[in-house]
Amino acid sequence: MQNITRIYALSKRNVILRYKNSLVGFLWGFMKPLIYLLIFIVMFSQSFPSVENYILFALSGLILWFFFSNVTSQSVGSIVGSAGLLKAINIPSYFFPLSEVLSELFNLLLTIVVFLIMMNWFGIVYSMKLFLILPLVVLFALFAYGLNLILSSINVFFRDIGIIWGTVQPALFYLTPIAYPENMIPDKYKLVIKLNPIYYFVKVGRTIFYDSFGPSAHAWNVCIMISFVTLGVGLFIYSRLKNQFISAI
Amino acid sequence: MSDVIISVEDVHVSFWQNNVGVYSIKDLITLRKSPFKSKTILDGISVEVKRGESLGIIGRNGSGKSTLLRTIAGIIKPESGKVTVNGTFAPILAIGAGIEQELTGYENISMLLSLYGTHKKGGDTIKNIKEFSELSDEVLRMPVKQYSSGMAARLAFSISLANDSDILIIDEVLAVGDQGFQAKCQEKIFQIKGQGKTILFVSHFPDDVARICNKAILLEHGKMIDSGNSIDVCNHYKKLF
Repeated sequence: MQNITRIYALSKRNVILRYKNSLVGFLWGFMKPLIYLLIFIVMFSQSFPSVENYILFALSGLILWFFFSNVTSQSVGSIVGSAGLLKAINIPSYFFPLSEVLSELFNLLLTIVVFLIMMNWFGIVYSMKLFLILPLVVLFALFAYGLNLILSSINVFFRDIGIIWGTVQPALFYLTPIAYPENMIPDKYKLVIKLNPIYYFVKVGRTIFYDSFGPSAHAWNVCIMISFVTLGVGLFIYSRLKNQFISAI
Repeated sequence: MSDVIISVEDVHVSFWQNNVGVYSIKDLITLRKSPFKSKTILDGISVEVKRGESLGIIGRNGSGKSTLLRTIAGIIKPESGKVTVNGTFAPILAIGAGIEQELTGYENISMLLSLYGTHKKGGDTIKNIKEFSELSDEVLRMPVKQYSSGMAARLAFSISLANDSDILIIDEVLAVGDQGFQAKCQEKIFQIKGQGKTILFVSHFPDDVARICNKAILLEHGKMIDSGNSIDVCNHYKKLF
């Protein structure tokens, strides 16, 4: 019970800190995908005439991508950045990457609500199928949490991780079919896309928001598998390293 | 015996020391040499503190004082040996522990109280913190980054002292704040002591240790080289220089 209060206090701190001194506050969570969308429309939409309703298509991928991108870039330094608290109170260090996931999850849910309302004008079909986004978000968050544990634990010892992650992200972004449709990728590069775990989550998300059909059982199973394997690896690496954090931060 | 509140038995702690930069990236990737080496920080420490006692920990810089405090507080897990504690802790009082610069004074108070989780229930806590810190309403509404270092220390110290726990840990903090606040902190420490609580006190000033604590231990290179009556141990410490 006390731990829940503590994780809540940390998540609340993250939310307050993120939008401190900014004029439109949490709306930024939605502005970032919108700005990217504008760039996409200017640059790409003419190139993909095969994509019907490009705005809904691109935005459904973008909001999931930005959740992932925000949460990992904030978490990678979360243990190092909490040195003051970790050295003063007996508080488990996994609280910090976890609270980053929770505060970003709060943002994502607000973003999805705004998105669903706005998409009324861009031809989204309201149906019970849209509720499937909730289990997807949970799986995606578990995956992100696993990855955060890996990144933030190793970053304690090699600060290079934070820097490398900043450069790996744009590459991952373009390796995920967000701005462009999947069927544009030449067959010989399909494997590269399929090695990218984010691809599977974005694909299910897009099926929920954009396609006329629902995600297949196979697509769900892949997401479940990726989430739990990543979480398992994250917990393993974290538990091997956690006892040495205090001396290194 | 139930009146032993802290018992430390033959505790060893060592840290990984980063060797990166000494070896080439190639060594690191092939793992021909370990990127870390182990350094002993605490080397077989045993100490016992009874309820209501106050223990001073003295020693030179790097002798392992703060590490011992953190090991007792459960923040660092010992490699071998055993630490048993029969009570709750107030957070380690160190300068600015956990204060978030971007948040206001009030936001810091509410966050830290939830994180510490040992404060008294009820609405008086925030009022007490405000009173003790002598910071005005206006100041507490400002982000802490705009505080002077003395004001930030007042806030941190006041939040820590608002906790109602059995053991108070103090790590090198009496040197902050102006004279008036220092005197007030010392008075508060004596008051807490008077309530029968246990105090662990780390300082570089043997006179403070001798005044506040009845027992003391002296650390040198992670080993305990003296223990006993605080006045005797402090005299021993002074002779080291």
